[in-house]
Amino acid sequence: MSLIEIRGLRYRYAGADDDALHDLDLTVSEGEFVAVVGANGSGKSTLARLLGGLARPAGAARAAVCGHDLCDHEGHFAVRRDVGVLFQNPDNQLVGSTVEEDLAFGLENLALPSPEIARRVDEMLALYGLEALRTREPHLLSGGQRQRTALAGVLAVPRRVLVLDEPTAMLDPAGRDEVLAAVRREADHGLTVVFVTQEMDEVLMADRVVALASGRAVFDGAPAALFAERALLLSLSLGLPPAAEVGLALMERGVLAELTLTLDDLVAALQAGRP
Amino acid sequence: MAIAQYYPRASPIHRLDPRCKVVAVAALVVGLFLRSSFAALAVYGLVAVAGLLLSGVPLGWVARGLRPVVWLLVLTFVVQLLFAPGPAFYTLGPLHLSLRGLAIAGYLSLRLVVLVVASLLLTLTTPPIALTDALAWLSRPLRRLRVPTEELALMVTIALRFIPTLMQEIDTIMKAQRARGASFTRGGPLRRARALVPVLVPLFILSFRRADELALAMEARCYLPGAPRTRLHPLHAHRRDAVVLVLVAALVVLAELI
Amino acid sequence: MSGDAANGHAAGGGGPAGEGLEGQHALGVRCEGLSFWYDEGATRIAALRGVDLTLAPGASVALLGPTGSGKSTLLQLLRGLLAPDEGRVLIDGLAAGEDGYEERERRIGLVFQMPEMQLFAATCRDDVAFGPRQLGWSAAEVDDAVTSALAAVGLPADRFGARHPYSLSGGEQRRLALAGVLAMRPGLLLLDEPFVSLDPASRRDLEAILRGLRATGMGLVLATHDVDRAYGLCDARVVLDEGVVVDAGPWRFGAGGEDALLSHRLKLPFVVELWRRLGRAAAEAPPELAAAAEALA
Repeated sequence: MSLIEIRGLRYRYAGADDDALHDLDLTVSEGEFVAVVGANGSGKSTLARLLGGLARPAGAARAAVCGHDLCDHEGHFAVRRDVGVLFQNPDNQLVGSTVEEDLAFGLENLALPSPEIARRVDEMLALYGLEALRTREPHLLSGGQRQRTALAGVLAVPRRVLVLDEPTAMLDPAGRDEVLAAVRREADHGLTVVFVTQEMDEVLMADRVVALASGRAVFDGAPAALFAERALLLSLSLGLPPAAEVGLALMERGVLAELTLTLDDLVAALQAGRP
Repeated sequence: MAIAQYYPRASPIHRLDPRCKVVAVAALVVGLFLRSSFAALAVYGLVAVAGLLLSGVPLGWVARGLRPVVWLLVLTFVVQLLFAPGPAFYTLGPLHLSLRGLAIAGYLSLRLVVLVVASLLLTLTTPPIALTDALAWLSRPLRRLRVPTEELALMVTIALRFIPTLMQEIDTIMKAQRARGASFTRGGPLRRARALVPVLVPLFILSFRRADELALAMEARCYLPGAPRTRLHPLHAHRRDAVVLVLVAALVVLAELI
Repeated sequence: MSGDAANGHAAGGGGPAGEGLEGQHALGVRCEGLSFWYDEGATRIAALRGVDLTLAPGASVALLGPTGSGKSTLLQLLRGLLAPDEGRVLIDGLAAGEDGYEERERRIGLVFQMPEMQLFAATCRDDVAFGPRQLGWSAAEVDDAVTSALAAVGLPADRFGARHPYSLSGGEQRRLALAGVLAMRPGLLLLDEPFVSLDPASRRDLEAILRGLRATGMGLVLATHDVDRAYGLCDARVVLDEGVVVDAGPWRFGAGGEDALLSHRLKLPFVVELWRRLGRAAAEAPPELAAAAEALA
């Protein structure tokens, strides 16, 4: 079942000379994990906001997200309930004075009864390993803890789609691992995920990757297929996952025959080639 | 650095409904100004001290809360002592010390102390969000005049939440500019003010960007100004709150009559 | 630690890296028993404890360690933005208070984390000129320094000089902030997490610029989590954990040091990790793999 059905999406920022998104098509089925990549200015963040109902398209042949019409005034507000968005800067997403207050924020906005808010906050604290930080103030949290809190806060309201806009860009490696593990866990439980990223190894988490350039989708397929298209990657100013870069260097020296994407694959391929 | 510093503890004072506490402290403050007598001051002073003891907050925290007003206290005392009219027992030019001056100086200084202690009692025993909730509830009648009390309360909460973050950022920006040779301690007041431009401009820009991103994140979590919101920790008044309010009212009356 | 003292000359040649930036007398820095505490509420936290370190002039050193290990504090102490609670910093053998110390301290450049935060002027030129002006240089010297610095970071003055700093992209702003420090002609450059929050293309650009600076003989200390970039740029490593130096030594393929990194919760550079997984000693590396590793570093 398609949760996101978009055809011919257009968006232009006020006062801009050009469309940020031109004629974009995107279909995402329930339970899919789709990565969205592209250089700066390709429209990735704009797409993330539109999917979250945080802006209205300039036009579209079809723009249905979770059954709501993005172009419709009521529709784009309603989308915010079903689609959660996690942004890049952990600090600028935490509203509450403590972790538990921030987790409650979204639930309070929906005017749910207090006992239910409390119950849901307890659940999220447990699920995200934040119980010990329940009354901690945001400025005393590490980057990874803040982003985990922000994610828990977004998902405290049960969502059908989670959109992430470069959520690990400002985190150290430990924080990145924490957040990616949490996202993976949610995806394994069936949450539909749209992950905007510039880190090529994060792309490997996805079933599908869509590449944007100048507001248009120029690739839609499996990550392995994308990384095989060197020319395309170059034109998009995108790189390769580290294992693929090393793999490529080795292929050029005749050590490897096939491109490997992960460290495990690379190790396996090299060990297979040796007696 | 603490503005509305909260000291968590399970004391009878902590357990009171914040609305009750706000009204009680407001009543104390008003009462303090209504009547100028040492006897009344003593009543209020005793109440404030009793409240502090009941709250179990360490005296060190109270002392720290008083530190910002030390200079004002000293100034008040000295000015009143030296300039208040009354029969003098020692004169030196425009300055004259009189017993009346001493009494006034003493009274005003003590009153300031009691005032600060009373408000500290409020902020030390009430978490900031509960305080803003209480003020939002108490100012509900203003909604009839189209004042957005709920939204203002949220704004205050968010502003308080970001104060430590802003402090860290100011520190970092100052250090970064110092690394480029800037000095914030050299020169007269005009020079120092100009030296702050490389700190204030980036701070403003950071804050505007933050405001944008925060607003977006709030909308993504279904925030809508004007829409009704519930709370994780709603305010619940109990019988003990009514009792406290009655007690406070009685005290104010007592102080008036002494 | 490797690196020769360099009374170098401009690297010359095309491209942004090292173009027109005159080599300055590189500084050598030493720390002896450096300790620093700070207060958080009622508790005292030790940021650094008894740190001994020697940085030869022109050396390129990776300062590694988990968040909170004291890397930023150490950099700030080296630059004199913080005063040590114990121990001392020696620059070219001189201690604080001695003649010539302050002048040398001012020639240590420190680029903070997210340095775009320090941009405040109306034009790129003016912002980069801030540092040189604070040093009291003449208008001509300032002009020269600004032009060289902007060229060195790939933001030539004729195209970017008059633009407003905030009209630049994130990666460009990062480079502009770096130019602001380079304009002061540092003999040692300290960088605190220079790659964080940059898109991959900008990271590559910045890496190239730093490589160029290193080639002019400028000393580099790179405090970073990006072990791969640090591996490529630095000849030596210092590992901090909880304020203490837990490991130090040269850093190149086959030099070892993996255990220290792993036992302090740090990741290994990709190539080193790969080699470790293959379970081989570096000496047995087939020439193709070693060559590939060198090419990527």
